[in-house]
Amino acid sequence: MTHERENIIEIKNLTKSYGKKRGVKAISLSVRQGDIFGFLGQNGAGKSTTIRSMLGLLHYQEGEIRILQMDAVKNQNEILRQVGYMPSEAMFYPSMKVKEVISFAARARKTDCSKEAARLCEVLKVDEEKKIEELSLGNRKKVSIVCAMQHRPRLLILDEPTSGLDPLMQEAFFELLLEYNRQGTTCFLSSHVLSEVKNYCRHAAIIKEGAIIRTDTVENLSKSDARYVKLTRGGQKREFVYTGKINALLHELANMQVEDVLIEEPSLDEIFRHYYEDKESGADMQKEGQI
Amino acid sequence: MTLFIQELKMGRKQLLAWTICIGICCFGCILLFQGLEETMEEMGDVYAQMGAFATALNLDRMDAGTMEGFFATEISMIFAVGGAMFAAMMGICMLTKEEEGHTVEFLNTLPFGRNYIVVWKYIAMTALIALLNGICLCWELLGFICAGEMMPLRELLLFHGAQFLMHLEVGSICFLASVFCRKKQMGASLGFAILLYGMDLMCRIVPDLKNLKYVTPYYFSNAAEIFINGSIEGKMVGISVVVIVFCGCAAAVLYKRKDF
Repeated sequence: MTHERENIIEIKNLTKSYGKKRGVKAISLSVRQGDIFGFLGQNGAGKSTTIRSMLGLLHYQEGEIRILQMDAVKNQNEILRQVGYMPSEAMFYPSMKVKEVISFAARARKTDCSKEAARLCEVLKVDEEKKIEELSLGNRKKVSIVCAMQHRPRLLILDEPTSGLDPLMQEAFFELLLEYNRQGTTCFLSSHVLSEVKNYCRHAAIIKEGAIIRTDTVENLSKSDARYVKLTRGGQKREFVYTGKINALLHELANMQVEDVLIEEPSLDEIFRHYYEDKESGADMQKEGQI
Repeated sequence: MTLFIQELKMGRKQLLAWTICIGICCFGCILLFQGLEETMEEMGDVYAQMGAFATALNLDRMDAGTMEGFFATEISMIFAVGGAMFAAMMGICMLTKEEEGHTVEFLNTLPFGRNYIVVWKYIAMTALIALLNGICLCWELLGFICAGEMMPLRELLLFHGAQFLMHLEVGSICFLASVFCRKKQMGASLGFAILLYGMDLMCRIVPDLKNLKYVTPYYFSNAAEIFINGSIEGKMVGISVVVIVFCGCAAAVLYKRKDF
């Protein structure tokens, strides 16, 4: 008997527009319990709109969002109590000390998180006595991580969490993320850093111009029928993604005066780029008989 | 309560600055009266011949040569306008400071709920206005003790009660306005407090504008009126309460509908 894990996030046909401006259109996705889910998209693709709708910061026009099996609109407070959110812009009250901000966030949840907060501050090297106005963006991000994690949430929603963090802190952050995940926390991570998604996420969705264009496991997203072809012909180098039967490619290459050729599986970066390129122009997308 | 304490902490520096400024001004003016007493008696005759202007400042009905008259016509004005400016500033900043400082996302993703945020921010604004009124009253009482002249306590307390209501009304209107703002409109809010004072003067001078008394809360909280009549006009107080309740409720409803 298989045990089906419950959906921690379930979004159905979410539509949000800002007057005439596009937000997101008919987005649907679901995230299973215990997953680390990557949400990929360029700036302005609709990542933050989706996250803000999930957290009740935005009122959406159509659709339904369920977080932790609860309606995101009706049970907003109960959801926020069990969610840890890290915004892309880590801003706090400038005149407050770090420890005051952390304690304020804990008191809002009516929880004593002092032990976990102290541990997180130690791991992330956060100086609790400093005032927020004295902190750099990276250090404010660290405070944001502590505020999001100190109450051991069931779901972590992280909007571009590593921007502004140095590589060592990024590593420490992901170690913490994996540790919480092992303890049962589901993570929803919005990012445009593909390596993060590839290295830490199990599932991912790609959003473009307010619509989700693909959702799959990161493994499947990385696998593709497409091949990245680099060839040298007549002294000129060409690079393109080939989507067609491999035999047809080899046949065409055999009939050409090719000096050098390299055919490889495209990286996640290239796949992501492929989704984001203007398909209509067909700039570097080649199909059978088009080489 | 968490948010209330937080707001009081954040507002304490401004409260301190404004209570020192207004309180010391009132205290100093009360002490100055002894030195000006004779001059003020002479000025009383001059004021009496100033026609409409004297009417506007109630100098035709109160003798500025007495401590009571001096307080009702001069000192109360400093307190009324200063307090209204503070209230307007508090009101406009309570909600907009979160958007301007980009802390709105942090605050609204904590499990408070928007109603809780609006209610406790409004209570914090009310508390700050009440503190300003209370501390300034203490400065005035200290001034009267030092000057060796005491005002009729009932009228003085009635005046301060009316002033608190007036300041709360100004603060509430600005609080409601702040729901629509993305940035702190400090200049506009201070201007608004002064504009209401201007309306009070105009409705007292120009008969055609007498209905402005229903618009400006300075009218019912005027010290001279209170010291002369020994009471506040109930209808005006009612209007003020309605405005305060409406602004508070409308701010809560509109804030709940807002996108961040």
